[in-house]
Amino acid sequence: MTAFVIRRIFQAALVLLATAVIVFIGVYAIGDPLEILLPGDATMAEREAVAQSLGLDKPLPVQFFTFLGNAVQGDFGRSFVYNRPAVDVILERLPATLELAFTALMISLILGIPLGLWAGTKPQSGVDETIMTGSILGFSMPNFWQGMMLIMVFSVALGWLPSTGRGETGTVLGMRTSFATWDGVAHLILPATNLALGQLALVIRLTRTGVQETMPLDFVKFARARGLSETRILLVHVMKNILIPIVTVIGVEFGSLIAFAVVTETIFAWPGVGKLIIDSIGALDRPIVVAYILVIVAMFIVINLIVDVLYSLLDPRVRARAA
Amino acid sequence: MLHMKSVLLAGLLATTALPALAADLTIGRSNEPSSIDPQFSRTGNNQMTGDMIFGRLAEFDQNLQMKPNLAESWTNIDPLTWEIKLREGVTFHDGSPLTVEDVIYSIERTDEVPNSPAPFTDMVSNVASLEKVDDTTLRITTNTPAPSFMESIGRVFIISKAATEGKSSDDFADAATGAAIGTGPYRYVAWTPGETMELEAYDGFWGEMPEFKDVQIRFISNDAARVAALLSGSVDLIDGVPPADVPRLEADDNYTVISTPSGRVIYLGLSMRGDTAPGVTDTAGNLLSENPFRDPRVRKAISLMIDRQLIVDRILGGSGIPAGQIAAPGLGGHAEDVTPDAPDVEQAKALLAEAGYPEGFGITVSSSNDRFPGDGDLAQAIGQMLARGGLTVTGVEALPYNVYSKAATAGDYGAFVFSLGASTPTSATLLQSLLHSYDKEAGKGAFNRVRYSNPEFDAALAEAMEEFDPEKQRAMLEDVTRMVFADTPVVPLYWQKAHWAAKTGLTIDGGLSEDTLPQAVSSAK
Repeated sequence: MTAFVIRRIFQAALVLLATAVIVFIGVYAIGDPLEILLPGDATMAEREAVAQSLGLDKPLPVQFFTFLGNAVQGDFGRSFVYNRPAVDVILERLPATLELAFTALMISLILGIPLGLWAGTKPQSGVDETIMTGSILGFSMPNFWQGMMLIMVFSVALGWLPSTGRGETGTVLGMRTSFATWDGVAHLILPATNLALGQLALVIRLTRTGVQETMPLDFVKFARARGLSETRILLVHVMKNILIPIVTVIGVEFGSLIAFAVVTETIFAWPGVGKLIIDSIGALDRPIVVAYILVIVAMFIVINLIVDVLYSLLDPRVRARAA
Repeated sequence: MLHMKSVLLAGLLATTALPALAADLTIGRSNEPSSIDPQFSRTGNNQMTGDMIFGRLAEFDQNLQMKPNLAESWTNIDPLTWEIKLREGVTFHDGSPLTVEDVIYSIERTDEVPNSPAPFTDMVSNVASLEKVDDTTLRITTNTPAPSFMESIGRVFIISKAATEGKSSDDFADAATGAAIGTGPYRYVAWTPGETMELEAYDGFWGEMPEFKDVQIRFISNDAARVAALLSGSVDLIDGVPPADVPRLEADDNYTVISTPSGRVIYLGLSMRGDTAPGVTDTAGNLLSENPFRDPRVRKAISLMIDRQLIVDRILGGSGIPAGQIAAPGLGGHAEDVTPDAPDVEQAKALLAEAGYPEGFGITVSSSNDRFPGDGDLAQAIGQMLARGGLTVTGVEALPYNVYSKAATAGDYGAFVFSLGASTPTSATLLQSLLHSYDKEAGKGAFNRVRYSNPEFDAALAEAMEEFDPEKQRAMLEDVTRMVFADTPVVPLYWQKAHWAAKTGLTIDGGLSEDTLPQAVSSAK
């Protein structure tokens, strides 16, 4: 087991290094940050001074190895735009994104599982058709369009919910969060719903398929024979079996929710990391882009590692293969 | 029972945390500063934010024209010596008076801000020495005679020596450190990057008090989201209204659109850099052995092929003003009689034939696609107009600005669309950075990407820039403009218009600077 984890950590380090090389060279190839950072009337002397202070006057390999040397010691460089450590800027905005992704995940589970169960137990009925058609819309309508529609309907036309920013936040256990105030929660509803729609459709489909595959199995028949109520069979026995694939998929998808909340954050002016990365790519703020991607890659590696470790704990066959 | 009810009600009220006292004015702003330290970066976003909280020696109004501000007056004793008289009774937001020491400190700190991505260095590079004459008088000597010295030194933001000594740029963002105190109309309250900034009018402000006391500025970079925020009532005023939304908002009685010309000119550059021009081929598709853009007749012909009014009407929905020069109307040195070329395909073809290209030549038009409204479409329209004029358009390419700008500066494009914004009262700096012969040593022609070079123009511009009499200088700049645009150094297309939209009843004093300042917002009369 220990050997398995150690090997995985070693692999993770290699993945991070490879990512660093690819991203650094990629970002380096895009353009010249000085073109974006400097105002239109900057003189050449100023230009050179800035290039020097940001280390942009050095050749690519030198820049890369300086970066790598510092990164190993936990220093991912300073943002060109904000002149603050890149990791600080990212971590400062991560809670807003986590909050958004977590709320979206909750919405998709709380709505998705019951809807999926409902559709699954009544295949080919009107309920099933309606829910499944709805989930197709969730999948196929572009995320940004859904976002604009939510704003048009609930903010502009009905005026029920705010459409921009994070609203009033309060502090709970030392963390700044929107859950602390009603205003914060109101600001969270639309963006979280927008982010949840795709996920919701996925949960509905997974649950429905799971239910349809499980219902004809023998243990369900035995449960019926034992005289258990249909509700108990569905919510306890069937549920236990179908949750495994849902949890697996959702675990991985949660990473995507965080990494790709970009569109939602841009539309709703949500001050999270997604908006930061878009702004940073536009401004060619290389340290932020590189640090962000490394943070996200690290996050995926950790999630996968946890999933793998859990598997090997749960399933002796995996453990045997790993050893 | 009744008691029980009121307890419940009180409990309910307590849990429904009251929203923060609603701001008197909420602005939805498209861009965001990178620091509250006004000396950290010279980008427009940062200077605009600085103007809310801090003061400068001179004020640059909405049309970029210079007026006295913290400096009540200034005199030029001899070509190298300036005497600046400070306004009396000005206080910082902590109540302490503005002193000559603060000004000297601010000027000295200007080029010493660590890691500034866009330093104000050039504003103070001509300062040789600073000397306090008396409590309200400062004497500055310069290295070289500089008629526009006040335009530079007047741009330095003045900060409090006592409050900021030993503090970093980062410390400004934390209101608790007390570093972000200025002499401006608004006091800094808080900034949440990517989200909001809170300001409060300063009661002791020396000038005219702004109308709105508590101001919240929300940073909403996405155009559609910003418009939606206005429509949903979460903000009172937005800037950067996309041209496409202007007619709709104008038609709605609940909103007012405020439009002004902007100082930003959009132009088509024709590269004279190499002996061949990238993308310029003969009609069979082989690279031309000579660079046709070095012939002024060819440049003029291309200018004549372009229907500027059509571009403004069809691509920008009217949000532009056809341009025949660089400096927008309202800037010093704008020559009224230098008008944009009217489209004249016959004359263009005649000029091409005269220059030795009766069959035209192949050309590729390049542009950014995310820098300003309609830039990608603009390249296509130009391509069609050049084709109508007898050229063979072999390609139109539009790229994101962060990629495009580097390649354009490196000279990778033959014909390319670019823009140039104005930030000074006269056209002098624009002409110098865009059209002066490229001279890295002297720092001139920094944005002369086409490498236009005209020694006669260089000399005339230098002479105009050395003129101390502002009236005379403006007349000379007009002459220089007439001279150089007769040669079509670049093809000016149009000046952008800037749009703000507000709830009906509000208005903003906007102008060439395109600034969105809370102190410029007022109830419509």
